[in-house]
Amino acid sequence: MIPSRPFLCVITDEALCPVTLAEQALKGGAAMIQLRHKTASGSQLLVWAVEIQKLCQQYQALCIINDRVDIALASKADGVHLGQQDLPARAARKLLGETAIIGVTASSLKEALQAEQDGADYIGFGHIYPTHSKLKESSPLGLDILQKTAVLVSLPILAIGGINQENAASVISSGASGIAVISAVSRANDPARAARELCRALNNRTL
Amino acid sequence: MEDIQRKESPLPRLYLVSSGEENGHNGGGLLLHQLSLLPRSLPCIVQIREKQLNANALLKLALQAREMKLPEGTLLLMNERADIALAADFDGVHLPENACSANALRAFAPELLYGCSVHSASALYIAEESGADYLLFGPVYDTPSKRKYGAPQGLEKLGKLCQATSLPVFALGGITPQNAAHCMDEGAYGIAGLSIFQDTAKLAETFEQFYLHVNR
Repeated sequence: MIPSRPFLCVITDEALCPVTLAEQALKGGAAMIQLRHKTASGSQLLVWAVEIQKLCQQYQALCIINDRVDIALASKADGVHLGQQDLPARAARKLLGETAIIGVTASSLKEALQAEQDGADYIGFGHIYPTHSKLKESSPLGLDILQKTAVLVSLPILAIGGINQENAASVISSGASGIAVISAVSRANDPARAARELCRALNNRTL
Repeated sequence: MEDIQRKESPLPRLYLVSSGEENGHNGGGLLLHQLSLLPRSLPCIVQIREKQLNANALLKLALQAREMKLPEGTLLLMNERADIALAADFDGVHLPENACSANALRAFAPELLYGCSVHSASALYIAEESGADYLLFGPVYDTPSKRKYGAPQGLEKLGKLCQATSLPVFALGGITPQNAAHCMDEGAYGIAGLSIFQDTAKLAETFEQFYLHVNR
């Protein structure tokens, strides 16, 4: 189940051990971990996925695998996150079944509506702010487009891209159900503390 | 006993690996052209191995391959990705040495055929333990596509592997209709190729010549 309160998803950082990072993030209150590693071998990914899934169960959080539906099935992860270049959500649904969580990346209202039609459970929407985690050719979407999309799409929206303690609350105020971060947690001196502070910021909407 | 069992394996004896150069554009690729040229009466294993393609493009290519009318008994295999194999109604998955084990995948996809690349004794042990259905060994001879991985493994190592396992072994790497018999003499179950099947003008002829040696 996707949390009903604003929540933090931490995506693993290719430069760091994903299991160590996941544990830190979970200690800090992350409700979802997304294992994302484009260059690791299948056997390595499966080992990580099984370990992270175990940790997520301990912390009652969700373990989501980026792109690899096969790894999600083999590790009994909670679900997958699919980019526009990955398997279509419909194909993934057939393989994973109704109870699995399927997230789809969208970077426009059109893609978000399509993802909803294709049976996604949540939308990873971004990037909202400028970000250095990935090389982006397009300009940031900003809060206005996030707000419009949140109104027109009934699925939970996980905002991604340049989100930090300072802007997390306004992202939630604009209709996002949660935030996804990489470097804001992975590159912090104390990732658990960074995650904790982000969780606090998410639920502080008086800003 | 093992030899008899090997001969009874229902797998085709020829094995075509895709070029690794598909661009993901609809309809234009070499693989679909190759599939359209397969001789009607000669089944083979076809492995789609296109690491440069993303999952979306791979699924599209796989679905196009599945749509084609193929010789009876032809098996379509996807490299590594059991999820794409299932989504495209493929017959199996071929696993590189660093992939998930066949057993891990069989837990959710028991209907698929699983093959394993094997380049060493330890890899053989892992492949057998994980319940592989066949093995792929190479490069037996020098081949341009594998030169960057070092010297060929040679016939002797092929023979040792075939003796060490009861699983069907496909020999790969620089094999031609002229030297295929040497691989079969070493105990190979069948022959796999990549470059040799890319000369599409001769594809049917190449198949027929290979079959003279592999079906003895």
